[in-house]
Amino acid sequence: MNRTPVMSRRTLLRGMGALMALPLLDVMRPRTARAATPAPRRFVAFYTPCGIHMPKWTPGGEGAEWSLTPTLASLAPVKGDVLVLSGLDNLPGRPDGDGHHAAATAAFLSCVKARKTEGTNIRTGISMDQVLANAVGKATRYPSLELGIDQGKGIGNCDSGYACPYANNIAWAGPSTPVPKETKPRAAFERLFADFDPGVTQEELAKRKAYGLSIIDAVRDDAKALQGKLGTTDRRKLDEYFTGVRELELRVNAMDGAGPACGAVTAPADTEDVREKTKAMLDLIVLAFQCDLTRTCTFMLGNARSQRVYSFLGLSGEHHAYSHHQRAQANYDALVKIDKWEVEQFSYLLQRMKGVQEEGGTLLDHSAVYFSSEIADGNMHEHKNLPILLAGRAGGAIAPGRHIRYQGQPLANLYIALLNMLGVPTTTFGDDGTGPLPGLGA
Amino acid sequence: MGLAAAVVLTASCNGSPPRARVLPGPDAPGPVDPQDAQCRSKARDPGRVTLHRLNRAEYDNTVRDLLGDTGSPARDFPPDDHGFGFDNNADVLSMSPLLMEKYSHAAQALVEAAWARGAFGACVLDPAQPEPCARELLKTFARRAWRRPVTNEEVERLVAFVTLARQHGDAPEVGVKLALRSVLVSPHFLFRVELDPAPASTAPHPVSDLELASRLSYFLWSSMPDEALLQVAEGGHLHEPEVLEAQVRRMLADPRARALVDNFAGQWLYTRALDSAQPVSRYGFDEPLREAMRQEMQLVFQEFVTGDHRLKDLLDAPFTYVNDRLAAHYGLPRPGTPAMTRVELTGHPERAGLFGKGSLLTVTANPDRTSPVKRGVWVLEQLLCKAPPPPPPDAGGLAPAVDPTLNIKARMAEHRANPGCSGCHTLMDPLGFGMENFDPVGRWRTKEEGGATVDSSGELPGGKTFQGIVEMRAVVKQDPDLSACMTRHLLTYALGRGAEEEDRCTVRDISQQAEARGGRLTDYILAIVRSDAFLRRRGEAEGPKP
Repeated sequence: MNRTPVMSRRTLLRGMGALMALPLLDVMRPRTARAATPAPRRFVAFYTPCGIHMPKWTPGGEGAEWSLTPTLASLAPVKGDVLVLSGLDNLPGRPDGDGHHAAATAAFLSCVKARKTEGTNIRTGISMDQVLANAVGKATRYPSLELGIDQGKGIGNCDSGYACPYANNIAWAGPSTPVPKETKPRAAFERLFADFDPGVTQEELAKRKAYGLSIIDAVRDDAKALQGKLGTTDRRKLDEYFTGVRELELRVNAMDGAGPACGAVTAPADTEDVREKTKAMLDLIVLAFQCDLTRTCTFMLGNARSQRVYSFLGLSGEHHAYSHHQRAQANYDALVKIDKWEVEQFSYLLQRMKGVQEEGGTLLDHSAVYFSSEIADGNMHEHKNLPILLAGRAGGAIAPGRHIRYQGQPLANLYIALLNMLGVPTTTFGDDGTGPLPGLGA
Repeated sequence: MGLAAAVVLTASCNGSPPRARVLPGPDAPGPVDPQDAQCRSKARDPGRVTLHRLNRAEYDNTVRDLLGDTGSPARDFPPDDHGFGFDNNADVLSMSPLLMEKYSHAAQALVEAAWARGAFGACVLDPAQPEPCARELLKTFARRAWRRPVTNEEVERLVAFVTLARQHGDAPEVGVKLALRSVLVSPHFLFRVELDPAPASTAPHPVSDLELASRLSYFLWSSMPDEALLQVAEGGHLHEPEVLEAQVRRMLADPRARALVDNFAGQWLYTRALDSAQPVSRYGFDEPLREAMRQEMQLVFQEFVTGDHRLKDLLDAPFTYVNDRLAAHYGLPRPGTPAMTRVELTGHPERAGLFGKGSLLTVTANPDRTSPVKRGVWVLEQLLCKAPPPPPPDAGGLAPAVDPTLNIKARMAEHRANPGCSGCHTLMDPLGFGMENFDPVGRWRTKEEGGATVDSSGELPGGKTFQGIVEMRAVVKQDPDLSACMTRHLLTYALGRGAEEEDRCTVRDISQQAEARGGRLTDYILAIVRSDAFLRRRGEAEGPKP
């Protein structure tokens, strides 16, 4: 808990200012990382809002014989590392009445139909990244990492009677517990590296832990005393508090003078330029994996129903407005520009991961990197034939470089397959998952 | 205005086309609400509010009032979600490991900084016998932070941190600071705790005076109760109507009531969305203009918090605040200063009230053109609480202009021609047309960008017509649902929970009482504070076990 070391790595980084790359300090390598151990498997979910203009997305050809479409053109350097999966549906994303964006975003990783409410008793399902985090997250400092670009919309209703948590979160720790995302690169960076303090003595470290744990004990006692006096819903809120306290405790217990084993570390600057911010966040994902601080990460390039104006693409309207294209060519053109930019960001992430050599292959080889949107066509709000990319080899479980056409299989089955290959044996997931999606492996 | 009869807008655009009722003149008896009898007889369900985590604004204001820290530490917290239009909705204010980490960091930094400032009281920690001073200091602090008296047992547990520090060879102040940190990450600080004597019983009961004090202070100040309020509550007098009213009036006169402007009005009137508005460059929108527009809305609303205006006059209040930049933007005489200055709108009736405010006009436009639909929906949703349902699939934005010389109204004729769209659009579009003389950043215009003459006339469901913004807003102001709708938004914010169908009679009572007492914002606030929904709560029946 004590984060005021004399000369911590964090202080050092702060003093040196933004975008100052540091050389790898040997003292920051954990002892265990020096031995050659097999690289862990990692997972990233990359969410982009408002659907994709599918005619310019879907590749011609099938199997290994497929060609990049205009929207996918930027994947050329990593084409052999990517699977394009056509024909998967997420029918639990369909709302009651309207509210397609929020309902489908809530179901994006949960495949559970969200209860329609503006804020009373919200409910969807646990998301697959959190299932994964629960299973494998104990091995790392952070069970999972949630990053995004946009804060909440700030006013009005989020989507036709669906509460904002549905629209602003894809990670759900439980049916009623969204896991908020960090939207500031600098804060995300500091969180990842806050606890490392190479200058600290073992004695001092022990004291910090004891103090930190005693505060945790005290507040846990406070919460326990309250627990018995509360009704069902309030107890559920307090359960979220207990979870937070428990994770804080893990963090204090894991406090260590030594730092992670990583390459040159860059502290990003905070910026509101979406291009720089996106790059910074994607760099952080790579860094967090490289340093083995977490193995599971979700990233939201925007919130559901995004109204971002892509002025740097020469566009003046809002993304969501364009997505209601009304079959107008001008709107199609705008959407394709946005889609291409989104895929470029994904391609950047893949290329960065491919650039990191680990024991037995690249970081990308050891990962499963998933890209999609909550819907397909934004005008029709289609929950079928979603735009899906799956990159990396997941340590050999995936055979990429192909375009696979499915016939309406549930998206949940893809998640079952991914969970299986990432070390979580399960045969069901969400409302409609029945078994692992076939065909992904060699 | 001379409208002989007000047109009542109805929201039944789903299925049957909207209808309008024409009200009789003001002297005739009001329309008979078939549910009136039900409201007269039915006991009010006060509802229940979920354990309420402080949101970012509440956290910042609370540590400001508690520790004098104005550094806005919550700026670095993950954003709060919102429900029912407000980010103080207890049901969606969740707690997460990330947030818990931030609280822990913030508590440490806050305590260190406040300790260095000497913010924790006058006694001196005697190294030989630090406990008496530590006890006094921690008791005082925990009472304020937890917004209630603390038990001796709680105080002793806090004082035990001094012993812990001693065991590790540290000075007493190290222990006291640990205790202070624990106070700030305790659920008693981070949550507004309200207890039911029987959590599984749905029988209503009054909230305690201390709980009421927090309800009041977080409603009016988005912050903790101050010493005066806490003392009244501890004395057991706060539920007395005269005492309660006196506290409300005192609190509204306090600068902290500015929170109502920032947090309630900022969300109700969409002022907050101004931060992210990105009008295209040809409109010359820039940061000074954004700031002037924001301040204009804040200053106008502030007058409604403290002044003698009727709340309904928000729609056409004949004054505003401008600086030179904003005045030029509006086509008003410049006050001759970059500072925001109060001006009368004599001779400029189009600028009066909400509909003439650049802030609202900008956030309800698209970046590159006006949107009569967005503007119409805003009026229906935020002022009349009868928002139409969103468009069906395959409906959507306006097709690109085929003929740029046509005005937007002509281009939107399809909305009314298409049977699948006309139901809702005959309700939404006319209200937006009435605002068409304002461009996407709120400048007055008589020509559209394509050169067509602006047509700001509209025909409401039922055949009533109006010409321009002045007549349009008069129709809205006379809508009998306006008062109840304003009540509903304010009550939602006041309670931190959605005002739903079960609250219909409560909403009706409050708006009637408030209007009967003069219809000022203060009257609405007092009527809310006196309502069962604010003074009482109930538990919830045990749900089925998962």
